[in-house]
Amino acid sequence: MKRDWLILIALTGWALALPHYGSDFAVSLALSCLMYAALASSWSLFCGATRYLSLATSAFFGIGAYTSALSLEHVPFAVAIALGAGVAALVALVMGAAVLHLRGTYFAVLTFGMTELIRHAISYWEKKVSGTVGRVLTVVPERDTVYLAVLALAVLALATAIVVRRSRFGLALAGIGADEQRAQTLGVDTRRVKTAGFALTAAFAGAVGAAMSVRWTYIDPVTVFNPFIGFQTVLIALIGGAATLWGPVVAALVFSLLAETLRLQLPQLYMMALGLLLILCVLYLPGGLASLRLPRRRGAAR
Amino acid sequence: MSFQAWFELIASGLITGGIYALIALGLNLQYGLMRVLNIAHGEFLMLGAFLTWAAQTAWGVSPLLMIPLSFGVLMAVGLLVHRLTFRRLTRTSPNLDVFEARGLMVSFGLMFLVQNFAQMLWGGELRGYDYLTAPVAVPGMAGAQFAANKLLLFALALLFSGALMLVLQRTLLGKGVRALMQSPTGARLVGIDTERLHPLMFGVGLGLSGVAGCLLSMSYTISPAMGEPYTVTALIVITLGGLGSMAGALAGGLALGVVEAIGMHFTNPSLKSLLSYGVFIAVLLWKPNGLFTRTR
Repeated sequence: MKRDWLILIALTGWALALPHYGSDFAVSLALSCLMYAALASSWSLFCGATRYLSLATSAFFGIGAYTSALSLEHVPFAVAIALGAGVAALVALVMGAAVLHLRGTYFAVLTFGMTELIRHAISYWEKKVSGTVGRVLTVVPERDTVYLAVLALAVLALATAIVVRRSRFGLALAGIGADEQRAQTLGVDTRRVKTAGFALTAAFAGAVGAAMSVRWTYIDPVTVFNPFIGFQTVLIALIGGAATLWGPVVAALVFSLLAETLRLQLPQLYMMALGLLLILCVLYLPGGLASLRLPRRRGAAR
Repeated sequence: MSFQAWFELIASGLITGGIYALIALGLNLQYGLMRVLNIAHGEFLMLGAFLTWAAQTAWGVSPLLMIPLSFGVLMAVGLLVHRLTFRRLTRTSPNLDVFEARGLMVSFGLMFLVQNFAQMLWGGELRGYDYLTAPVAVPGMAGAQFAANKLLLFALALLFSGALMLVLQRTLLGKGVRALMQSPTGARLVGIDTERLHPLMFGVGLGLSGVAGCLLSMSYTISPAMGEPYTVTALIVITLGGLGSMAGALAGGLALGVVEAIGMHFTNPSLKSLLSYGVFIAVLLWKPNGLFTRTR
């Protein structure tokens, strides 16, 4: 655990220094890397531990982005991020109350369906009531502010993951993942633990969405609710190893590099590579990249 | 609204519903038998549609002839996909829950792979061809008219759905499949060969989606992104009918077609996806085992 904190501090220091010597390209690369690190590690905080496969990340991301787009003219950037996190967590509480009693495929499909429902509802609302397709953000903070905000969120997500893993709450989550009925018998209030975990994941996704929306300066439901954001998060967490702490971070780094180098020139090839990697990873590395190193620690990680 | 308007509305709902049913049956066969929720189902439908379109525009092959051809090609694809992925998954997964989650991820991967492959090969634009577009009057219904290709589409979709259900009900093969759906262990105990039935039925499921794509290309424009909405619709249909229930999928497909047609007529077309996702979530929350299943 002490080692985890040391790694986190070292990485943070390095990431803090980056905008001072790196090029624009390096910073934007680091930004997307941090975004996916935050999303994937907060996703695996709940979904990796409990093995509830949530595909709703893009819903919370989009909700955060919209909250920040609507509120940024009236409140400072930090408050907008907090608002995005709050609204996303609230939606997750409602959604969780409805779907968290379902397991496995039903849960995955339902969260996906709800994401699409939210996206279509907001598109429809914007078209009919607000009379717009997307929104242009006029008040935008500087590049370095956005970078620092996303960095802070990523560090916060990892710190939360380190703390939660050793806490009663984290053990309860892992207990649900191992055997939900047994956890219930042993006195874990599974319903409350699951709802809280789901809301925590959503809060991070919402905050990241709120911070990233200012980076794009123009948002519409198709971009911010893009199911692909959710898929890529799940993919990164799974390929890295959803039950581990650093796996998702390493995978986020690999994927951002892959995305930035391939996506602009050959978008289809990038997506195909992504699909192929997902299949290969599920088939041959079900424990994720993290299961490759040091087999002796496998017992401790389970 | 006049009687004739109602008739046209419900009939057009049934026509789309027939296609929904055919797609859902293939998906349901795969899920009911193997617990593979194939999210990439619609992508294989798109492949069937593009094969038909390519053969039609390049060599003038009749779309009717392409029905067995696309069934064959996609069945071969299905056998290959099963051999490369799901066979290994079945062997390495510790239990069914884990297999289901992993199968879902694999099919997401397949979706990315196939859809972008088609986009690279054929480009993103809409395509189509004309086939039997002349309107046909329905006898007995003065004035009610439908394009001939839509009527053909409906008839063939029902024919193939019926044929699949007949095979499952009446033949020894079908008996084996149903037995596997009811109790995998029991079926294996009486000597049903899972190693042969699983790939075969996965292939048949993809073959059926190829047929559905072939039929769709006769009367609608096609694009590489067309598959996803149909996958979602098929998911809705099999949740309506109950995962694994064939008669439920047929009834659910037709019902959803009619509900969509009526709903769109009375509200507006841009609400269509909102409507279907709404129905989907409501049904899943209210009756997760499907509308037509009896509680055991």
